[in-house]
Amino acid sequence: MTSGRPPLGLSRRDALRRGAAATLAAARGLGPALFAGCSLGISPRAKTVTVGLLHSQTGPLAISATSLRDIELHAFEQINAAGGLLGRQLVAQAPDPRSRVDLFPKRARQILENGAVAAFGCWTSASRKAVLPLFEQAKKLLFYSVQYEGNESSPYVVYGGMVPNQQILPALDWLMGEAGGSRKKIFLVGSDYVFPRTANYVAKKYLADKSLKPVGEAYLPLGDRDFSSVMKQIRESGADCVLSTVNGDSNIGLFAALAEAKIDPQAIPVVSTSIAEDELRSLLPEQVKGHYAASCYFQSIDTPANRAWVAGFRREFGRDRVTGDPMEPDWCLVHLWKRAVEKAGSFETEAVRQAFRDGLEFAGPGGTVRLDPKTQHTTKVFRLGRIRGDRQFDVVEASATPIEPDPYPQIAFPGWSVDWTRGGLTRGAEVDIDGNV
Amino acid sequence: MNALQPEWWYWLYDVPPLRLSMLFVGVFVGFYWLGSIIVRPILRQFVKYTAGSNDIVGYVLSCFCVFYGLLLGLIAVTAYQNVAEAGSHVTHEAAALSALYEDVSRYPEPHAQNLRWLLRDYTRYVIKYAWPLQQRGIVPQEGTIRAEAFYDKLLDFQPHSPGEQILHAEALRQFNDFLEARQMRLYSVKSSLPSSMWSVMIMGAILNIAICWLFDMRFLTQLLLGGILAAYLGIMMHLIFDMNQPFRGDVSISAEPFETLYQRMDDE
Repeated sequence: MTSGRPPLGLSRRDALRRGAAATLAAARGLGPALFAGCSLGISPRAKTVTVGLLHSQTGPLAISATSLRDIELHAFEQINAAGGLLGRQLVAQAPDPRSRVDLFPKRARQILENGAVAAFGCWTSASRKAVLPLFEQAKKLLFYSVQYEGNESSPYVVYGGMVPNQQILPALDWLMGEAGGSRKKIFLVGSDYVFPRTANYVAKKYLADKSLKPVGEAYLPLGDRDFSSVMKQIRESGADCVLSTVNGDSNIGLFAALAEAKIDPQAIPVVSTSIAEDELRSLLPEQVKGHYAASCYFQSIDTPANRAWVAGFRREFGRDRVTGDPMEPDWCLVHLWKRAVEKAGSFETEAVRQAFRDGLEFAGPGGTVRLDPKTQHTTKVFRLGRIRGDRQFDVVEASATPIEPDPYPQIAFPGWSVDWTRGGLTRGAEVDIDGNV
Repeated sequence: MNALQPEWWYWLYDVPPLRLSMLFVGVFVGFYWLGSIIVRPILRQFVKYTAGSNDIVGYVLSCFCVFYGLLLGLIAVTAYQNVAEAGSHVTHEAAALSALYEDVSRYPEPHAQNLRWLLRDYTRYVIKYAWPLQQRGIVPQEGTIRAEAFYDKLLDFQPHSPGEQILHAEALRQFNDFLEARQMRLYSVKSSLPSSMWSVMIMGAILNIAICWLFDMRFLTQLLLGGILAAYLGIMMHLIFDMNQPFRGDVSISAEPFETLYQRMDDE
């Protein structure tokens, strides 16, 4: 007859309890080893990790966007040569949205379905807004490096470009200041889509705050090159300067029309927000020389870090290639993402976003940038460049310190703010961008 | 056949050539030796009581070897021709690209620079990204985007003089030539011997070995002589397998014509 009691004086209940405790302790101890990689955001056995590149390689925006693809490939190649990210080689998948807003969601879906852990891309705000819901739904990060109008925030977008308080408002200050010739008759010209409309809305609000009003405003469809009627408007308005938010190939038409209308850059300078060294290669130097661009980076910045970066890019992609804004912010974004992934030890979106919270910095070719965890935008140095005859810029103005990003300048969007570390978006009064200011 | 996925057996091409050759020889000799132990005693029953059976088997083997040898020889030549043809597509594409580069270099600025950049970008893509994919048996897709980007920019140019018109027409003709060669290269990524040919070759090898099992001789002699024949069959199969994929294995096409061109583009 058995007593129902195991040897060594242990009851069955004790034995079960001790067994369970030992199993739990073993699971706790061995868990990390057994399940290492399960929270990586990819298959633990994967040797590669796919990253989506969403840039137009054909169509009117290709002139600008192709260089973003190249600088991202350059960054990935360097990361891969150094052993990859978390031991995985980065594989870029770069379908072509052909500069068509309707194709961007299709291409975004394609890269998300193919398992991209994150994506870098979009040029126009219209394209970014078209793919945004897809990234939010898939809970994947989109890194956007182009300067834009602000008035937007998403937990799934990291904005690496300048917002109006870092670009357009300092440019207006310069134009209205002594260095810019104390100009007060400002004409606004832009491509007809969300960025120029919103950016000019912010500009008008800013001018209104200084009791000023633009002397004229004109928009042409993206890709349109016939600016003859706009030139007439500029002449008739008596403008003494032009703030241009014209994008892509349309700049060819704008500057050709300015030259044809014999508008002297010294009398009526044009300050462009969307012109960099890359766009200048399609423009005739005699048509653009003397005009200005507001930016955070120019290839001509004379620092050892920038010289080394430019040389590295040219070594890989050709000695006559140029660097510019937003290539530099794009480079910084890739490296900020890399740092976040390394810090998180994972490609998983929430882990990467968590890594943003402690603040990330990267010493880029144009200076150190910091990712603001509240807005998921980056700090920027404002620079104003005068176009030279060799398709480069002379930096004529630079902010002393990097400017903090403010996607919702209170002057234009009262009551609006964002803090992704606490509560997210705070809504203010609805704003009618297209209405009268 | 999915152009984006390699075949399941492509891992074999990742095995170093000498080891792969030894693997083929090992499989064939091992099969022969194993059959000599297991199958031979059964097969021998059919010719055991036939007078002069070795002569008959020898006569059949000779006849068989003539047909099978011819088949193997022809298949090896076909496989080599496939590789050579793919190689000529690659050379043709690089030559057309080079001629196109020269043509567009004569365009007025900024067209010339923009077009040269796009061709250099295409060449870089072929070397750095397309070639490794081809070597894995995957048809690279993104080169098409780069070729389209170049075509878009080429069509942007409006000739203003008769000289420019002639140059532009020649560049367009050269571009079409390049596109054709490029398409042929892409087709050849997946070109290989049809599976029916492989079936006939493998069946022939098995029958060849089976006939050898019918010989009446000492067991060790059987293992040695049959093993030599099986080893040679293995080497032949390895050679054909190696040439089966133009961009894979020891006998494959390199990206050298593109590398030379890229070097020249970069030096200018």
